[in-house]
Amino acid sequence: MSRRDFFKASGLVAAGALGGPALLGGLKKANAAVPAPAWDSKFSACDICFNKCGLIARVEDGVVKKLDPNPKFLKSRGMLCARGNAGIAQVYDPDRLKHPLLRKGARGEGKWQRIPWDEALDMAAQKMEEVRSKYTPCGHLFSAGTDLHSQFVGRFAEVYGSFNVTSHESLCLVSGNRAFLDTYGEVPFADVLNSKYIIMAGANRFEALVTPDSMDLMTAIRENGCKLVTLDPRYTKTAALSHEWYPVRPGTDMAFMLALAHVIIAEKLYDPQWIEEKTYGIEMLAEHVKQYTPGFAAEQCSIPAEDIARIARELAAAAPAAMIYPGRRTSDYENSTQIRRAFAIVNGLLGNWDKPGGLLAARAVGLKGVPYDAPWYDENQEDRIDAHKVPMMFEHEGSFLVTRDAVLADDPYPIRGWFIYKTNPMGTAPNRKKTIEMMNKMDFVTVVDIAMSDTAWMADLVLPSQSYLERTDPCSGLQGSVACACVVKRDPIIEPMYESRSLFDVMKGIAGRMDLGEYFDFTIDEYRRKQTRDIPEALEVMDRDGVYYNPSKVYGIYEGRIYKTLSKKIELYNQRYEQMGLDPMPVYTEPTKVPKNQFRLVVGRDALTTQTSTANNSLLHQFNPANTLWLNTESAKRLGINDGDLVEVSSPVGRQELAAEVTDKIRTDTVYMLSGYNTLSTMQTLSHNVGASINELLDDDYDTVTGNASMHTTFVSVTRKVA
Amino acid sequence: MAQQLAMVIDAAKCIDCKACVAACKVANSVPEGQFRNWIKQADDAPVPGKASGKAKFQPGACMHCDNPTCVDACPTGATYKDPATGEVVIDHGLCIGCGNCLPACPYGARFRNAEKRKADKCNYCPERRAAGIPPACVDTCPTKARVFGDINDPESEAGRLYQKNKDQLARVTARTDTKPNMFYIGDPGTPDWGGEAVVPASMVAMKQTAPLLKAVVGLSGLGVLAMLGRQLIAGSGDHKEDTDA
Repeated sequence: MSRRDFFKASGLVAAGALGGPALLGGLKKANAAVPAPAWDSKFSACDICFNKCGLIARVEDGVVKKLDPNPKFLKSRGMLCARGNAGIAQVYDPDRLKHPLLRKGARGEGKWQRIPWDEALDMAAQKMEEVRSKYTPCGHLFSAGTDLHSQFVGRFAEVYGSFNVTSHESLCLVSGNRAFLDTYGEVPFADVLNSKYIIMAGANRFEALVTPDSMDLMTAIRENGCKLVTLDPRYTKTAALSHEWYPVRPGTDMAFMLALAHVIIAEKLYDPQWIEEKTYGIEMLAEHVKQYTPGFAAEQCSIPAEDIARIARELAAAAPAAMIYPGRRTSDYENSTQIRRAFAIVNGLLGNWDKPGGLLAARAVGLKGVPYDAPWYDENQEDRIDAHKVPMMFEHEGSFLVTRDAVLADDPYPIRGWFIYKTNPMGTAPNRKKTIEMMNKMDFVTVVDIAMSDTAWMADLVLPSQSYLERTDPCSGLQGSVACACVVKRDPIIEPMYESRSLFDVMKGIAGRMDLGEYFDFTIDEYRRKQTRDIPEALEVMDRDGVYYNPSKVYGIYEGRIYKTLSKKIELYNQRYEQMGLDPMPVYTEPTKVPKNQFRLVVGRDALTTQTSTANNSLLHQFNPANTLWLNTESAKRLGINDGDLVEVSSPVGRQELAAEVTDKIRTDTVYMLSGYNTLSTMQTLSHNVGASINELLDDDYDTVTGNASMHTTFVSVTRKVA
Repeated sequence: MAQQLAMVIDAAKCIDCKACVAACKVANSVPEGQFRNWIKQADDAPVPGKASGKAKFQPGACMHCDNPTCVDACPTGATYKDPATGEVVIDHGLCIGCGNCLPACPYGARFRNAEKRKADKCNYCPERRAAGIPPACVDTCPTKARVFGDINDPESEAGRLYQKNKDQLARVTARTDTKPNMFYIGDPGTPDWGGEAVVPASMVAMKQTAPLLKAVVGLSGLGVLAMLGRQLIAGSGDHKEDTDA
């Protein structure tokens, strides 16, 4: 007889006297295996970042209890990250917007009046009409983030008559896309899984998760013998898990890449037949990179010359199953398109395009667009407000920073209305004061969001949106590199909470009040059927598996096909750039030296944060309650700063305070903090007044080719804050 | 052979993304600021250039030990090792929240649940297993570093990994060797962080004087059982193999 049996028995003596036979049954039950929960399992796709990982929601009595990965979802390799798991905390966030709110006080003062939906939609329609008649249709700006409903914002803008639509992308990755598009004719996907040698620069794939690349990178390393070399001024988790890590001097990645090209060409380590048949401009490139020796790059990058030469040889030896990982952190410098061109060119020399372990072309997904005829407006402006200010902007993404400057200057025409859905420029665009100025310039700002973001906080009308678990979404085609090309959709998992409505219903409501109803005269179900008209089985398959896979070709897509470039080949030398007066090959210029006693502020990600959208997530908040300033041990000592001390960080555009994290995991000339903290909105109770806002500090320089923000060009002073 | 549920972990695959920690918190409604599982980090100073290639991050949780000191420390028998599955189980009906078991775990895997005020730790998500799906941390892991199952079953993924890597399996080497059932393939990353099991003297004495106590406890127990009848004897017979009596 054990203590366990004894106590169990004697416990029952007392209990048995009171409860009788019922408790005997209870004991039996306690010993029996735990019963399975009464779950209703429903498919959906995550929406806590842009990856759209497949998930299964476990629902009990109309309440989501747990979000699990969909094991059949190959794009994310059957996983759900911490943020995906924390989706519940976003949906059930007590700070969520519950009903339409109309601003009563000054902008940002936080005085709101609850109004009924009908009144809100009447007002939005009326204000949009006013702006249109007073300032032409282009006098209204539309901004939307990455979301399955975002396309309806673009549709609305077009039928309303405005060319001015901006996305989040010019604050993120458009310069990288530009560089690869202008080299290959399209933006590639990386076949990380089958690669034998990967150089990771300007990306942090084990923290900034991209599916399937992040998962495949570990499989490639651990099971396929892939070598990973990382360049990063920070010792990130990616750096920690790499075979080699070099704390590159920020802004010098191009020198490293050009030196790789130098060695590969000088030592003839490329496949001459491939270069001859598939690329344009090898002679010009050879001449151009003569000057960029490993010795030259070593001085620029603070990476030993012999390592650069060795890495070039190892990389070429592993080719074509080798790559310079394209990366997404391309909003870094004023020449970021040219920096990424250098990445693209080295990949060109490796001959890895369209091959296992290299860069892949987009695969056929099978979805079709749903076309419509937009009306013509004679009174309209000639072009977007941000047109012709940089030479190679992406028309469908725009440039947020160029647009903001143009709005502030009324150049070439005024914009006085702004409609914003699921993006938060107040929290993601550098130089927050300027975004506030831009807000103040507006007659009327409408924000549709699930939370009172800082952008909503500065708006006139705030409309509560449904979360991803409450609404019907159109289908979305996803590229999953070698894993899949697939289609996902979302159906409501739970009843819409509070008075929330989907963006589509909001657009439909406003359009109907503006005589534009015919452009939204359909249901999402009808829309999906049009999208899937070429793959009629897709909707049924998605109901069954949560995802539809198109069995499209992975490799050799370009066999017998021409490249969508001027030379119809991979352009090592870009003829179009030459015609436009841009450098046809990347020319290295040394980055501005960090001024004495200052630091370069760099941005970055971790696996628990999606910019500002997770800042108020009660689960994720437990991991990162506030952001900190990473400061090198040596630099901290020089400044008399101890770990945990409150410091003031000041830049040419702003000042913030936060705790210092004294660490050896960053260069002495660089500091870093996570984005998303210290919101102005007091209705984001966990992130308001906590940590520091990085966008209050970042200066608003941009890439001269695409207008992409350059977030690594701000120098800051750091001083110990004396209480 | 009876089951031994265990985790076989490839720590070198762990990217420290905390998906397992977040998934566990949601699945088990773990109170704010408390955690049933974790990822340890090797405190290596970064060296530019060639890295060592060693594992840097180590996922962990209750290791459902073969020699569970927490069972020794539990005065009520609420904590016991299930002979059928090899799990270390907390019977919350018997737990009095005394906290004896917390320092008795050399790995710090136990905590007092701030809401339930009872001992808490990883239980391999029994509700999920009953529904035919893996424990939340295993299911959600992006790189599938965590593998769960019966290591005595060569057909299971955990058993297959266990057999295949038998020669290089490593455990966390705490100062008190409790023979944990959490196995790391190759390099466990940070192996030596486990501490010493602190079991209250009275409980140690109870274990040392087991034969005498067995008689005393057994006699009183027999009295109780006699009063309650045969059904209870059958009901209490499931856990005869407890180590402490």
